[in-house]
Amino acid sequence: MSHHRLAPLGSDPLWFKRAVFYEVLVRSFADSNADGVGDLRGLIGRLDYLEWLGVDCLWLPPFFASPLRDGGYDASSYTDILPEFGTVEDFSLLLAKAHERGIRVIIDMVMNHTSDQHPWFQASRTDPDGPFGDFYVWADSDDRYPDARIIFVDTEASNWTFDPVRRQYFWHRFFAHQPDLNFDNPAVHDAMLDALRFWFDLGVDGFRLDAVPYLYERDGTNCENLPETHAFLRQVRTMVDAEYPDRVLLCEANQWPEDVVEYFGDPDSGGDECHMAFHFPVMPRIFMAVRRESRYPISEILERTPAIPSHCQWGIFLRNHDELTLEMVTDEERDYMWAEYAVDPRMKANIGIRRRLAPLLENDRRQIELFTALLLSLPGSPVLYYGDEIGMGDNIWLGDRDGVRTPMQWTPDRNAGFSSADPGRLTLPVVMDAVYGYTVTNVEAQSRMTSSLLHWTRRMLEVRRDNPAFGLGAFVDVGGSNPSVLSFVRHFGDDVVLCVNNLSRFPQPVELDLRRWEGWRPTEMTGGVAFPPIGELPYLLTVGDHGFYWFQLAPPEDRP
Amino acid sequence: MSVPVGLEDLLAAWLPTQRWFTGKDWPVSAVRVLEHTAIGTEHRVEHLVVAVDQQAPTGPTSTVYQVPVEVRADRRDRIAHAMLGRLDDGFVYDALHDREVTGRLLERLHAGDDLGGLAFHRVEGAEIPVRVDSLVLGGEQSNTSLAFGDRALLKVFRRLVPGTNPDIEVHAALARTDCPHVAPLLGWFDGTWADPTDGHPVHGSLGMLQTFLVTATDGWRLALASIADLFAERDLHAAEVGGDFAGEAFRLGRATASVHAAMRAVLPTGVWDDSEVKATAERMHERLEDAIREVPAAAPLAQALHRTFDALGDLRGGLPVQRVHGDLHLGQVLRTSVNWKLIDFEGEPEKPVDERVLLDTPMRDVAGMLRSFDYATQHTLLTEHPDDPQLAYRAGEWSERNRGAFLDGYGWVAAGDAATEQVLVRAYETDKAVYELVYEARNRPGWTAVPLTALERLAS
Repeated sequence: MSHHRLAPLGSDPLWFKRAVFYEVLVRSFADSNADGVGDLRGLIGRLDYLEWLGVDCLWLPPFFASPLRDGGYDASSYTDILPEFGTVEDFSLLLAKAHERGIRVIIDMVMNHTSDQHPWFQASRTDPDGPFGDFYVWADSDDRYPDARIIFVDTEASNWTFDPVRRQYFWHRFFAHQPDLNFDNPAVHDAMLDALRFWFDLGVDGFRLDAVPYLYERDGTNCENLPETHAFLRQVRTMVDAEYPDRVLLCEANQWPEDVVEYFGDPDSGGDECHMAFHFPVMPRIFMAVRRESRYPISEILERTPAIPSHCQWGIFLRNHDELTLEMVTDEERDYMWAEYAVDPRMKANIGIRRRLAPLLENDRRQIELFTALLLSLPGSPVLYYGDEIGMGDNIWLGDRDGVRTPMQWTPDRNAGFSSADPGRLTLPVVMDAVYGYTVTNVEAQSRMTSSLLHWTRRMLEVRRDNPAFGLGAFVDVGGSNPSVLSFVRHFGDDVVLCVNNLSRFPQPVELDLRRWEGWRPTEMTGGVAFPPIGELPYLLTVGDHGFYWFQLAPPEDRP
Repeated sequence: MSVPVGLEDLLAAWLPTQRWFTGKDWPVSAVRVLEHTAIGTEHRVEHLVVAVDQQAPTGPTSTVYQVPVEVRADRRDRIAHAMLGRLDDGFVYDALHDREVTGRLLERLHAGDDLGGLAFHRVEGAEIPVRVDSLVLGGEQSNTSLAFGDRALLKVFRRLVPGTNPDIEVHAALARTDCPHVAPLLGWFDGTWADPTDGHPVHGSLGMLQTFLVTATDGWRLALASIADLFAERDLHAAEVGGDFAGEAFRLGRATASVHAAMRAVLPTGVWDDSEVKATAERMHERLEDAIREVPAAAPLAQALHRTFDALGDLRGGLPVQRVHGDLHLGQVLRTSVNWKLIDFEGEPEKPVDERVLLDTPMRDVAGMLRSFDYATQHTLLTEHPDDPQLAYRAGEWSERNRGAFLDGYGWVAAGDAATEQVLVRAYETDKAVYELVYEARNRPGWTAVPLTALERLAS
């Protein structure tokens, strides 16, 4: 059993700055009742595994009642659970069992819009003068807010859709079956705060707030990141601080870091909006840097990332349930990423690429380890995606983004141990190809083999947990003589960690100017081997192809 | 305080062992101290300007050097490599190597001290770090550079010539612009010494302090990394391999254009009339004739290459000229985390200062960089893959692609009269390759094929 170093639940309001998150799709993780669909009780049954792996917080994408036309991001209720996943009681049990193991749980919350099946929308379209008549954004014409871009360019032609019942247009930033709520209506604020309280009262440790930038619409703007949106988030935060300290708000705003930083709120107060926000561009930059064999794509985006308030943290990830998002690279770079990573046109979705980590890297173990080491050492709390710890593959022949949402592969048995239902009844087919298929790639096999990716990942999480510098420390790019080697120092108090990453497919030497730590003694962290002390002259290292080092630097012995 | 007894003899033995010393084989007849100023208080540090009289093959010659020395009572093992020797006054060290005393230079720059023959200047508003350890960086021919922590870089000129060093002049001028593509100048120091031949006082630059670009790697290394990646694939085009350099080359072109624009804004500009253009073309013709006499293999190209220079000479209507970098190549640009920086605006170090500051067309720099792309590929080919036609073909693709990207980034077509610039770049590139041909024939005969191949391309 791993020993969690995070402070016990309830005693550290900044726990999220050191946590490793794990995104788990309830639908695809474990099926407890043989109906072919993963469920909350199935997840409860796998908590021992997650504790062994060493993750600190689960992130559950939507599991609210929904017609499931957008993977649950189209809720038809904010307080009911999709019946096939279980009940509110099951969810309470999950929270209790996770908390027993020191694992926290955050859930997805889509505040921007509901499903068109939500009773609020049904009431709004049929009774314009009733209590819900003003819950959505209605207009007589479809020409307002022309500067708002269309996000799902593959499927939507306009942000307005005509409703034949109310005989008006309604506003939607995403699919036409997802009408946007009208945040100019104070009753919507109250309804939303009540929904958040419902889950907080059950014990959730926080929310990932989906699609935050789009809450308000204003003429003459692109309807993103408006001041009114920030005011509402401060209202939510005030409630959290007063009623639910120790809980976290994680903002999903797919924007440049200099814009996202606004969602942390006032730096003087340590942040008064969201505790966390995803750092989107760092992920494609990692992919690009390795393909280019150049550290600059990563160095540059970190250099461009503004400081964040003291009580806030970035969330970073390599892959998640969405496509590999390429909105945060320039057009030239996007063309390049497509050419490099999406060999088959079916791999492209919207403006991203729908692949899992292992197939994106052609199952190259060294690259998978390098990418993961970068994820675990760059500034921000890492978010792992279920299955990537065993190098699961994807199924590009499944529609939409389902290709990266196939069942977790537990064993080489029927249905990969995910479910005992008839194989034909599974929510999505298990991956069966020769390389990533469940008979080869599964938790059982990898937990028996200490050289496996699974054991390696677990070991890295352990090393990370032992060093607060990863979660809390400052980031210093130390440059170096070799453009293919990314080297940086993370330091927090007396915990100083040097990370050296060879982004090239060839072995590389690098000379590092480490005079700031002259006399300090590096120890490689996964093996504990002492390296020569740092002197005045450049520190010379050689790094194997796609290799990396994590060194802990110990102060000179003659210093106190 | 006077110069320690016997110091000249120590210097006479020590100076010829330094890499920045010229004419190492020429007998030293005398070392004369032209100027000395005490710059330390706790430790005895003497700033010396010395003349070294030598017997060169062409006759007697005197070269002036800057040598700050430290005289201490105790021996310092840490800097044993920088010890000149022992005198009655104590142990004598090259003061630039002792981080206990180099900080004095920064303090003086910070304060803007004037010590008579030695004056320190701080750029207005510049933050000069003090109490930061220094380290002498290796690898330089004519200067000694010290990195102060990760904050500042002090370049100490070793061989002194009268006049303001163009590198200081250009950086001081660019400090008045918002051009982000140079390392900001923080301060400089200069001094007066007696001319070694006639004894008249002369004034000149001694050193400069700039922001240290801690995350920087030079463009040459980046280009070589990209080429190594290309050559490992063999059957992929330059545009298809992961290590493609075109994005960087484009940004480098943009940076170069930005620096040129800034130099135009704050430094002298002019217009060459038709006769000056003609004279420039004439000099190129002459250099080509000289080169062909030395490397007859280039003779078949002569006619075509002369036509290139004729086209330059025929340009009419006045040619805008300005201060330029003068020696731009991939080794003179640094990639930092944020962007490209151009460094070393000294011009070609072999030329006298008054020639290095002559106005010229910015296409001189553009042509220099284009030649550098060619050299980067040929360097790898010659040193690692000689006689490999497949890779030679790939190398050509890489050059073409990155030349194009650099020119696109520079805004070559967009800015001004495309036809004129085409003539200019072609002529300057040809002239540069002609210079390389002579240089390689004299120094690295195995490399003559590099400029020769380029000239063949330029002649076609």
